[in-house]
Amino acid sequence: MSLSRSPSPHRGGGWSSPGLTPGSGRSSPRGFSPMTRGVKNVSWTAAKAKSDELHKYPSFDTRNDGFFFRQKRRISARMSSFRGTTARHGYVDKDDYGRGVLHGAGAGSCTGMLGWFGNLLRRGKMRILFVALILWMGYLLLWSTIVQLYRQSPLGGGSKFVIILASNVEGGVMEWKGAREWAVERNSIRNKREYARKWGYKLEITNMLAKKRYSHEWRESWEKVDVIREIMRKNPQAEWFWWLDLNTWIMEYGTSLQSHIFDNIDSHVYRDINEYNPLNITHPPPHFYLDDLARAPTGDGDESSLHLLLSQDCSGFSLGSFFLRRSVWTERLLDAWWDPVMYEQMHSQWPHKEQSALEYIYQSQPWTRSGVGFLPQRRINSFPLGACGDDNDPAFHYQEADRDFVVNMASCMLGRDCWSEIYTYRAISNDLNRSPWDGVSEQIRGIRAKIFGAPDEVD
Amino acid sequence: MQFALPPRKSPHELPGHHSTRLPLYRRKQLKTVAVIGISIFAFLYILSHIFSSSSDSLSASAGTAGVVIVTVLDRQSFSEGYISKIIANREDYAKRHGYTNFFASVSDYKEAVGDAPKSWALVPTMRHALATYPKAKYFFHMSPHALIMNPTTSLTSHILDQKRLESLMMKDASIVPPNGIIKTFPHLKEQNTDLVITQDSEGLRSTSFILKNREFARFFLDLWFDPLFRSYNFVKAETHALDHILQWHPTVLARMALIPQRTLNAYSKDSSGASPNGTYRDGDLIISFPACDKAGTRDCQEFHTYYEQWLKKVKGS
Repeated sequence: MSLSRSPSPHRGGGWSSPGLTPGSGRSSPRGFSPMTRGVKNVSWTAAKAKSDELHKYPSFDTRNDGFFFRQKRRISARMSSFRGTTARHGYVDKDDYGRGVLHGAGAGSCTGMLGWFGNLLRRGKMRILFVALILWMGYLLLWSTIVQLYRQSPLGGGSKFVIILASNVEGGVMEWKGAREWAVERNSIRNKREYARKWGYKLEITNMLAKKRYSHEWRESWEKVDVIREIMRKNPQAEWFWWLDLNTWIMEYGTSLQSHIFDNIDSHVYRDINEYNPLNITHPPPHFYLDDLARAPTGDGDESSLHLLLSQDCSGFSLGSFFLRRSVWTERLLDAWWDPVMYEQMHSQWPHKEQSALEYIYQSQPWTRSGVGFLPQRRINSFPLGACGDDNDPAFHYQEADRDFVVNMASCMLGRDCWSEIYTYRAISNDLNRSPWDGVSEQIRGIRAKIFGAPDEVD
Repeated sequence: MQFALPPRKSPHELPGHHSTRLPLYRRKQLKTVAVIGISIFAFLYILSHIFSSSSDSLSASAGTAGVVIVTVLDRQSFSEGYISKIIANREDYAKRHGYTNFFASVSDYKEAVGDAPKSWALVPTMRHALATYPKAKYFFHMSPHALIMNPTTSLTSHILDQKRLESLMMKDASIVPPNGIIKTFPHLKEQNTDLVITQDSEGLRSTSFILKNREFARFFLDLWFDPLFRSYNFVKAETHALDHILQWHPTVLARMALIPQRTLNAYSKDSSGASPNGTYRDGDLIISFPACDKAGTRDCQEFHTYYEQWLKKVKGS
C-alpha cells in the first residue's frame, strides 16, 4: 500500500508506516519525500532510525526536493491549523474547516509560531496592520534614502547645484592651524555636507592652500576664480555654483535652494542697485553711447539673464556667499576679473582684493550689469553681531525669528573668535530645527541617564 | 482508509490569491492606461529637457545682412578737403552694397575718453554704432587714413562669407609677431568668431576690424575701454591695450579671427611696418596710410594720389 500522504500523526503514535515520520509533532506532512517513497520492506526499527536521523535536522530541512515538493511544503505549511485541530479532535468535519483555528494552533510546537503568524495574516484587519507595519518600517529605514536619491537625480533637480566650500584658507606654509581652526573646518564641512546630502546637491571642498603661483603674482584671492572654473569643468551637469566661505553656517537644513531662491528668482532679486547702494555706484551707467540694454536700470528683466547672484553688506559686495550660473557670461566675468594691468595699478588700493576688483568691474564695464542680481543680504548671507556694527540691525544681522538661511561670520578672523561664533550658531540651528522626534529621543535619553546614572555626552 | 486531506483547491486555501485575478478585459484596460501614462510622462520629460536647454548659447541676432562702416573723424586736425574725400569714398562703397555709414567725431567722446589719448575714441564710437543700429549684423571699423580701392568687392564675399573667412583665418599664429607665445586657436570655426582683425609686423592693428553684432561685442568693447587700460600709458594706447587683452583673456582670443593684412588693411608703399606680404597691390580692397596718422593729413601726399586713382576707377566704371 502506498499512501499519497500521511494521515494525522500523533506523538509516538501507534499507527506507523514505513518511511513515515511518526510523532514528529511537525504539522506538515512529511511522507511524500522521495527518500521514503521507494523504501518498501523496511523493519520498524530501521525506519525509526531513519526517521531519527532525519529529525536531527531542523524541521524545515533544506534538501532540494525539486520545485514541486518545495511548493507543496509551502502550501501545506499553511494548513498547519487544520492539522493542529485534527490532532486534537481526531476528526474534523470538512464543513468545520478553519473553525477555531486561531486558538487551536499548536502554540508549543516550533512551527506553531509560523502557523499563528499565518493565521494572523489571514485575518483582514491584522493583515492591514501587518502591511502598515512593514510600510512604516520601510519608511523609517528607506524613505530618506529614496528621497535623497530622487533629489540627486535630474528629476529632483539637485544635480543642478554645486556647493563650493573653500577650506584651508591661507593654510599650509603660511600658518599652522590650531585646535580651534580645525574645529571650525571640521564643523563647517560637516554642516555643508549634511545640507548637500539632504537635498542631493554636490559638495566640492576646495583646498585653498597658499600656492606659490598666486603669491608670486600678488593675487592670492584670485585663486577663487581658478577654483570656480575648475569645478565648473568638473561638474558639467550643474547649472548653479554656490560659493561659501569656510566661516559660514547653513542654519536651515530644511530649506532647499530651489524653494529659497531659484524657483522664483525674480521675486527675491533686485537688479537695480539703487535699491541698496552702499558704494554709491551710478546706475544705470549714464554714457550716451551705450545701448538701451546697458542703460536700463533692471537689464532685460528676464531671469534667465541673471548669472551672478550676490548680496551687499554695509560696505559693498559680499563674496562670502554667492551664486554663479554656468554660462558664457560667467566665463567672461571670470576671465575679466583678474587682469595684470588693472591689478598692478590697484593692488594697494583694493583692500578686499577680488571683492574690490569685482566692484570695480561692475562699475567700469557696463556689460556686467545686466547679468548681476542682488539678493537681500539676509537671504544668503546674514552677519553675526560684530560684523557691520555691534547693534542688532535687521538689515545685516541674523534674525532668529525669521529663521535666516545662512550666517557668514565675515571677517571673524580680524579680532573676533570664529570658533565660538560658529559654535553659537550651530547651537541655535540645532535648537531651531529639533523635530518632535528629537524631543522624544532626548527625553528617553534623559530617563535612561537617570536610571543608569550614565549621562552620555553627545559631541 | 484514512481520510485524505481536504481538496486542495479550497477557496480559502490561498489567501490573497483571488485578488490578483482580474478579469481579462480589466487587465487590458489597465495595461493601456499604463502605457499611455508612461508615454505621456516620457514625452513631457523630453519636452522639459528640450526647453530647459541652456539659454547661454549665443544666437545670431536676427538682423538684416547689413554692414555698418564706422569711421571716427578728428574734425579738429583733419582738413575739410581730407574729410570730404574720405566721406565720398565710403559713401560710394556703401551705396554700391547697401551698407550704412556711421561717421563720428572724436570730440563727441572727449568726456568718455578723459585724459587718455584721443585715439581711444574709436571704442566708444563702436559702442555707439552698436546702439544706433541694433539690427545690423556687422560693424566695420575703418581707419580714417584708409581708402577703399576696389569698390565692387563686397565685404561679404571678400571676407565675411563663412567658407571664405575660414579659409582666410590664420590659425596657430602669434598674436605679437614674429614669435609671441600666445597664438590664435588652431581649431576655429566661423560661427565661433566675433572679431575679425589683422596685424602688421608689430602686432594687431585696431584701425581696421570687423565686429559681429552679438553679446560678445558689448563685452569686448567694455573690457577694452576699461579706465584702467586707458590710464596705463600703453605706448600705443588702445592698440597695445588690444594686444594685452588678447594675450591675457582667452575668452576674447577664442573669438578672434586673424586674417592676412592685405585683405583688410594693406599698407601703402611708403608706410613702414607692413607684415610680410602686407603691402598694397593693385586690386586689394583697402589701402591704409598709417604714416598719415603721425604726419598729419596735410603732409599725406600718398593719400591724395590714391584718391585720384580711385576717382578715376569709379568714374570709369
